[in-house]
Amino acid sequence: MSTSKRPMSPYMLGPYYKFQITSVLSILNRLTGVFMAVVTAPLLLCWLIALASGEQEFMALSAWLAGGLGKLVILASVFSFSFHLCGGIRHLIWDAGWMLEISQVRFSGWIAVVASIVLTVVVMGAGL
Amino acid sequence: MNMQNPLARVRGKGSSGGGVHHWRSQRYSALILLVLTVWVLWLGVSLAGADYATAISTMSSPVHAGLAILFAGAVFYHTWLGLQVVIEDYVHIAALEFALLMLVRFACLLAFLISAIAALKLVLGA
Repeated sequence: MSTSKRPMSPYMLGPYYKFQITSVLSILNRLTGVFMAVVTAPLLLCWLIALASGEQEFMALSAWLAGGLGKLVILASVFSFSFHLCGGIRHLIWDAGWMLEISQVRFSGWIAVVASIVLTVVVMGAGL
Repeated sequence: MNMQNPLARVRGKGSSGGGVHHWRSQRYSALILLVLTVWVLWLGVSLAGADYATAISTMSSPVHAGLAILFAGAVFYHTWLGLQVVIEDYVHIAALEFALLMLVRFACLLAFLISAIAALKLVLGA
């Protein structure tokens, strides 16, 4: 096909571009979103179904969540939620037309990284 | 102002003009989720490791049932829109792309319906 011979821009995550906070946070926002779509949201749905089904089902899910894999899934979910939340707030700020200078974008990026780690620690520390 | 050649428009070329709706829907659902974050974090922390009776008594409140249904609606709508963009960006086999888009749409709708029915069952005590 003739279109395949057109020049293409190098792939963003290959060896041609240096990793930068802008591109890394962009892809992480997607990855955390996809993780929540595939793992966290179905887990919340299972929790609601188990609760509506009866005590036996609910206790079975609770026991699984208290185990090693369950705790890992909860930690990954809380971090994904915190990160996607902070990334989403950044997007909403940009949509309002604010903080669009490259120095401000880098600054808000580091704020988002720190804030999402702090929120994860606070929520996990609060008992989840 | 329309910058498009009228002939191009007749031939159906160029943007469909539907992008703003998708973009705006994603932001509106994000704003709803941003507000509900306070509620869902409180719920998660207060019900972490809770026994069946405590969880039932919390979720049988009409306020929590309503918030849960609204949250489920916003979550699965936002999930649908987000996964749609990811699939459109990375899946380049037309048939597979179409199948995945339909699957995501169906799964998100079904997940919302099941959430809403479960929340209603808890509040109505059926």
